[in-house]
Amino acid sequence: MRFMMMIKMKKDPVAGKGPSKEAFEVMGKYNEQLAKSGVLLDMGGLQPTTKGAKIKFSTDGKKTVVDGPFTESKELIVGYWVIQVKSLEEAIEWAKRAPLQHGSDDDCEIEIRQFFEIEDFPETERVKAAKDAGKKAGDVYKEMANDARSQQK
Amino acid sequence: MMIVKSNQEQDKKTIADKKVSEKLIGEMRKYNEQLANAGVLLDLSGLQGSSHGTRIKFSPGGKKTVVDGPFTESKELVAGFWIIDVKSSEEAIEWANRAPAPHGPDQESEIEVRQFIELEDYLPDEAIEKYEQVARIRLEKLSQMKREARKSG
Repeated sequence: MRFMMMIKMKKDPVAGKGPSKEAFEVMGKYNEQLAKSGVLLDMGGLQPTTKGAKIKFSTDGKKTVVDGPFTESKELIVGYWVIQVKSLEEAIEWAKRAPLQHGSDDDCEIEIRQFFEIEDFPETERVKAAKDAGKKAGDVYKEMANDARSQQK
Repeated sequence: MMIVKSNQEQDKKTIADKKVSEKLIGEMRKYNEQLANAGVLLDLSGLQGSSHGTRIKFSPGGKKTVVDGPFTESKELVAGFWIIDVKSSEEAIEWANRAPAPHGPDQESEIEVRQFIELEDYLPDEAIEKYEQVARIRLEKLSQMKREARKSG
């Protein structure tokens, strides 16, 4: 099962106040644990919403672009991990071990959400085609991984 | 990251409930194909409703609280996302603007566009090395998984 662990905060992090060197190292260690145990599929950090935008779709077909920052929002995503584990419980275990440190009053949370897998959909022609495409993509991925490894040597 | 925001009504729906019109499925598929053909698409996925999810709240003082989904009070739920690699935020907004209204034309919806933090943005060298190390471990695990999958399948 794939899960996304999203780090959510009530406000954008203050510009120029990145994580301390220690916090960075502790987070690096946690990421290493995730990677070594083979559960980590992807991770990323997002820039503050000052660098973001929203597109609002109205029912009359109108689209409105709104530039960040999103000061009215109370749940901003600052980063995420995608992990592959056997159960939601295992995902919760991992999330609880994340070294999130906040000295301020900015409560911070991790929201864990499960991915839709192709198996969740009824087996139609299209789903079958998608599964085949997925297998092919897996092969390509493997080749890429092998290429990257041989380049390292 | 182009994040499709959900709403309480959408969040409750299961795959079986989601009688999404053939038209929207077709439009979405065409859009995904455009992203892929343009070479900008890195990843895309849909998330299960928040009833399959959990939140871990990190409070100052180190307290952690586990809250099971669904998150009925939330106005900021994520339904799915695309990750694209483009030259500017204008180009990203351009792509988001071309997406079909994610929940169909008769429902208001929103796509949030957020920029990733790249390693070269402002992190110390030592930390970058650490992250590259994690990336290498991931790559190795991934190809190992693929090898095992191929053996068993």
